[in-house]
Amino acid sequence: MGFPYDTADWSVVDGAMFMGWGTAMPGLYTAIAAIICVAVLVIGHSSEAKKAKRFDK
Amino acid sequence: MEEQIAELTAQVAALQGSGGTTNRMFAETFYYLTIPLMIIIHAGFLAYEMGASRMKNVLSSGVKNILAFAFMIPTFYFFGWWVYWGFPTGLTLSEGPAGISGAAYASAIAWGWGDSAQYMGPNIADNASGVFFGAFALFAATTASIMSGAVIERIQTVGFVILAIVLGSFAWVVAAAWGWHADGWLVTKFGVHDFGAAGLVHAVAGFFALGVLINLGPRIGKFNDDGSANHIAGHNMPMTVVGLMLIIVGFWGFLMACVIVPGEAWSWFGDKFATIYGTPITLSSLSFNILMAIAGGIIGAWITTKDPFWMMSGALAGIISTASGLDIYFPGLTFIIAFSAGIILAPAANWLERRGIDDAVGAVTVHGTIGLYGVIMLGVFASGYPALQGEGVPTINLMGQIIGAAVFFGLGFVPGYVVSYILKMFGMLRVPEGAEIAGMDTVKVPAQGYPEGIPSSPAPAE
Repeated sequence: MGFPYDTADWSVVDGAMFMGWGTAMPGLYTAIAAIICVAVLVIGHSSEAKKAKRFDK
Repeated sequence: MEEQIAELTAQVAALQGSGGTTNRMFAETFYYLTIPLMIIIHAGFLAYEMGASRMKNVLSSGVKNILAFAFMIPTFYFFGWWVYWGFPTGLTLSEGPAGISGAAYASAIAWGWGDSAQYMGPNIADNASGVFFGAFALFAATTASIMSGAVIERIQTVGFVILAIVLGSFAWVVAAAWGWHADGWLVTKFGVHDFGAAGLVHAVAGFFALGVLINLGPRIGKFNDDGSANHIAGHNMPMTVVGLMLIIVGFWGFLMACVIVPGEAWSWFGDKFATIYGTPITLSSLSFNILMAIAGGIIGAWITTKDPFWMMSGALAGIISTASGLDIYFPGLTFIIAFSAGIILAPAANWLERRGIDDAVGAVTVHGTIGLYGVIMLGVFASGYPALQGEGVPTINLMGQIIGAAVFFGLGFVPGYVVSYILKMFGMLRVPEGAEIAGMDTVKVPAQGYPEGIPSSPAPAE
């Protein structure tokens, strides 16, 4: 992914300095993180519901 | 006119002096406050391992942890601080390119005797040395605490203290000199970057603990004849979980202490914070990334275990897995890496257990395995970033991070294994079987953890 500036020198950095700055990667990372959160809630609920069902009379 | 110019000049000089004083006081206070914050890490480890101990061992686990802290401070004062400044260029103890390393430099600032003693005690002209020493001494105490939890319920107190001194005042300090110093050879030759000490604190301490555990052996009853493992539950899971949360709180101080403040003679910049490598950083970067790391680690561990112990360990793993690059990761990526660390945590600990290693709190996995995972992940994502300030400096790269990870592993595992092996030869490593069965509190501690026992909770109100 690399350094987001043309020259590998910190003296040229005057703003954002994270990996992927200036590309689509930050948006992609944010989207993946959000999808993980939703997926975990779906899987977590399903697994908890299955366990709880065992105690149904 | 001349009088006005002279007056203005005097006012500018006064303003500059006042600004300098404010900056100096800010810098000193900044590091001073990291020290009590890092003591919270120690409080967390204390609660964590006392809760993970059975009731018959709860106080002896605490005594061991408290003693580690107590011995870490003076031994780090006696020689640990010297090691950090003396060793960056390797075993030659020569001066590095930044001119702040080598035996001569270390001897001029880090011995508690002779001329260098002026930097190792109260000095009205030196607002920096004491707070830097304090922050580093607390890093040392953290390494000892990491090892402490792994070896509970069967180690001898003095043997443990000797191991803690070797780890906290020597092994990790060499790792820090090599990989966490502007003159460190891992940095200047291989571009190693480990901002938040995932490798040089956590992995070194975790694999030191592994070396000790191999010689120490498992607790009685941990493994069956067929090699299968039994779960030995601690007496107080809530105490352990709260302890883990306290460690998380203390991490903010730990990571704050990894930052160099601006505007002082020893600062990298006049107007911005820097990492220990002289690369720029902001505290905002840390806020974004630490919080996302905690969250990602907890969520990853929850989905795989549903166990509060592993969830809070997941929070630690989240931070440790991203610590190397908290200065440059994007928060979304931090979350993803931390989430992956939370997922692999429990399976990695179970893998180790199946190999006959009884790590009572999962320290080898949380700190060792995840620490190295974090160092290598940074090589995957951050290749091309300059590792130091200045032109033509080495850049972060995957091979360099792998080499760094291998060195950190060796600096932890080898001394841990060798020193514990020597202690074992002299009968100073493990308590006798009868004492272990009776309980270490009965054998060692003239006090009771729960003199009235722990009754079950009263019935709820109607």
